[in-house]
Amino acid sequence: MEQLDQWKEQLLHWRTLAEDQLRQVPPVQLYAAAAVLIFTTLLLLSLRLLKRAKSNTIVLTGLSGAGKTVLFYQLRDGSIHGGTVTSMEPNDEIFVLHSETTEKRKTKPVHVVDVPGHSRLRPKLDEYLPQAAGIVFVVDALDFLPNCRSASEYLYDILTKGSVVKKKIPLLILCNKTDKVTAHTKEFIRRQMEKEIDKLRASRSAVSAADITNEFSLGVPGEPFSFTQCYNKVTTADASGLTGEISQLEQFIREYVKP
Amino acid sequence: MLEQLLIFTRGGLILWTCRELGNALRGSPIDTLIRSCLLEERSGAASYNYDAPGASYSLKWTFHNDLGLVFVAVYQRILHLLYVDDLLAAVKREFSKIYDEKRTEYPDFDEVFRQLKAEAEARAEDLKKANPVGRSIAGGVGNGNSKKQGSGNKAGSEGGGKKKSGGGDGDGDGDRKKGGRLENGHSNDNFVVGKETNLKGSSVNGKENESSNLGAFDVNRLQKLRSKGGNGKKGGDGAVAAKGPSKAEPPKKAVKKNRVWDESTPETKLDFTDHGADDGGERNVDFLAKEQGESMMDKDEVVSSDSEAEEEEDDDDAGKNSKPDAKKKGWFSSMFQSIAGKANLEKSDLEPALKALKDRLMTKNVAEEIAEKLCESVAASLEGKKLASFTRISSTVHAAMEEALVRILTPRRSIDILRDVHVAKEQRKPYVVVFVGVNGVGKSTNLAKVKENNLFPFNLFKILYVGVMMAACDTFRSGAVEQLRTHARRLQIPIFEKGYEKDPAVVAKEAIQEASRNGSDVVLVDTAGRMQDNEPLMRALSKLIYLNNPDLVLFVGEALVGNDAVDQLSKFNQKLADLSTSSAPRLIDGILLTKFDTIDDKVGAALSMVYISGAPVMFVGCGQSYTDLKKLNVKSIVKTLLK
Repeated sequence: MEQLDQWKEQLLHWRTLAEDQLRQVPPVQLYAAAAVLIFTTLLLLSLRLLKRAKSNTIVLTGLSGAGKTVLFYQLRDGSIHGGTVTSMEPNDEIFVLHSETTEKRKTKPVHVVDVPGHSRLRPKLDEYLPQAAGIVFVVDALDFLPNCRSASEYLYDILTKGSVVKKKIPLLILCNKTDKVTAHTKEFIRRQMEKEIDKLRASRSAVSAADITNEFSLGVPGEPFSFTQCYNKVTTADASGLTGEISQLEQFIREYVKP
Repeated sequence: MLEQLLIFTRGGLILWTCRELGNALRGSPIDTLIRSCLLEERSGAASYNYDAPGASYSLKWTFHNDLGLVFVAVYQRILHLLYVDDLLAAVKREFSKIYDEKRTEYPDFDEVFRQLKAEAEARAEDLKKANPVGRSIAGGVGNGNSKKQGSGNKAGSEGGGKKKSGGGDGDGDGDRKKGGRLENGHSNDNFVVGKETNLKGSSVNGKENESSNLGAFDVNRLQKLRSKGGNGKKGGDGAVAAKGPSKAEPPKKAVKKNRVWDESTPETKLDFTDHGADDGGERNVDFLAKEQGESMMDKDEVVSSDSEAEEEEDDDDAGKNSKPDAKKKGWFSSMFQSIAGKANLEKSDLEPALKALKDRLMTKNVAEEIAEKLCESVAASLEGKKLASFTRISSTVHAAMEEALVRILTPRRSIDILRDVHVAKEQRKPYVVVFVGVNGVGKSTNLAKVKENNLFPFNLFKILYVGVMMAACDTFRSGAVEQLRTHARRLQIPIFEKGYEKDPAVVAKEAIQEASRNGSDVVLVDTAGRMQDNEPLMRALSKLIYLNNPDLVLFVGEALVGNDAVDQLSKFNQKLADLSTSSAPRLIDGILLTKFDTIDDKVGAALSMVYISGAPVMFVGCGQSYTDLKKLNVKSIVKTLLK
């Protein structure tokens, strides 16, 4: 108790000292100082807000030939124009979704990035992942089985990336080309990929014990892998880039990039 | 005939295709071109051949780097279309004028294209007709050029055009064209007309005017001189400006072209050739030749002074702090340039930086051929691009090269072989790995160091409890089987051996059968080291691979080799392809680099090998113990290469 009293006294003493000092300073300077203080805090706050608002990036990724560029142009213009060829560079643009351009109320534009699927260009993905609000992994539902392994491997790599796991970026597995009759269902694709990733997990963890290190391991050891065990939310959806049936994709985008 | 012509963005959106041609392409030549050529840093090549069932196309392309556009022409291989380069350049020029980022469709380009195509075809036709005439009268002088062009084309269609001899590059690289023009000057008048119109497409400034009327030529020359005298610094831009008038009025020019073509219809041409023998014609030719000669010299000076200036600037930029007053003007202008950003990068601007980069790569043990090709490809990707503010040319080139290197070294196929082993296990087949390579890279007689590289997956497989078996298929060198047996004993894994003097292919086959009997999951097949030129041994290897169809053919190479890396790998691949009896030969799937710990920062062999074969580096061996095998870290390799 005595100590507390002592501290109180000390505090009071300091306060009087400070008040004396303040009185000596002309008021104009005081106001100026206060203004500067307020201004900087506001600036910092607004910067912070802006930064958060900037995370409206949706990354389209997947194997080469899955239809990412077509989906990109469907989102932007609602048309695929003259068709597409293999991309050599990412398509990176901020726009208002085509389906929302007709709406009266103002909608926030979305930053959509279409990263090429060619394996040589995969390092590009790392540039965009840290700022992503959502990842769309496009899978070719028509030609799925031959590409199942490489697609799963790519997905595994994405799901174990540090930037994805730490920020828990939601991921949508989008089964494209479902307008075709022979396309596989999304449930089938999901099951197959889970199986494939389960096997990958075993071999990758063995390799990492040897010398390669994956940043994170997936799922619960000892249990068969399923996407629900992921750190981030993984969902599946259908789409058809060719016919423009992309409502589920737009729904996903709007879920994570608020209008 | 031309099958198709496409214009698309680097992002992959097709902006325009020729609907008139309308032939449906068989297969997907464009996608294959992009995947296997343009993305593999082979865009320096002149043309690409596409083979698919029922289709064999040749593809030619050109970039507009500033706008990010790609122009691709597809035609049947059997037709050696001479006008394709010309047409591509013309299409590029015209299309870049109407290109707008916001627009995605260009129906109005149809008309322009029709005209361009007709002109290009007409020029080619003209050249064809003019050639024999020129030869008959002017003799061998004029021929040199046509021959050169022919051979260039051939080299291009073989896909091995090393020096862009096909002429895929439009913009003013000069020597070949210059030479051609001089020769034309010596040959007769008529030939000049044909030749000039042919060359015109490659954006050489207003040459057609010279051949049609000399007055115009004088004006042009004056302009050039003025631009040269005006300020040496802006010399390059001046040349561009001189190019301007002829470029700026496309409709007028089109008319003029047509007129030239109309004049040189066969009848008038015959007239001309007759005149060519006359004195008047002769004098005319002389005059023309002289004029052209002078103009060439002028141009040369402009270009050289320009490039010198650039070099100086570059140097100054580098040593800005050390001696800023060395050249005040150079320093100031470079300063200004680095702030404002340069208009468009030209080849001459890039050359010094590229040369420095090439030298640096070569000191890192990259094969010269590879370094050269890489630099060409990087130059092709940068030419015409705008230099951003606050950057130097050297740093831009550096960044582009870094990107290219990362792209090359990033494996195309999965290098997770354990995953493959699992697949094979599910199919109840042993996974067969064959090790090939030249002598002494990891299989020479001396010591245990040799084999630990070949036993590499042991530490991985042991963890998974996968059964491994080794097959001693080195029945050539004495002591090889015993050596392998020693290793097998130390690692406690079974070995399959049949002694010497046996056909290795048969030994391997028996080993695989044995493995599937006793349930081994992996068979490691050791083969004799062989030089790439040793025909009988290569034949034996080819047989072994063909007979057993292994899951993985692993090329064991030394990290120490320099230029020989290219030779080894390309010959191995070549021999395996040539000597194989099947239609789809097995080539090398992956590379194992040994002795990686001995080379310090000279990691260039990795780059050379990957570039030449397209196969990824699966492992690098860097130590003496059985577990010293690592994966290649692409980022650190690239950093080391460019350090």
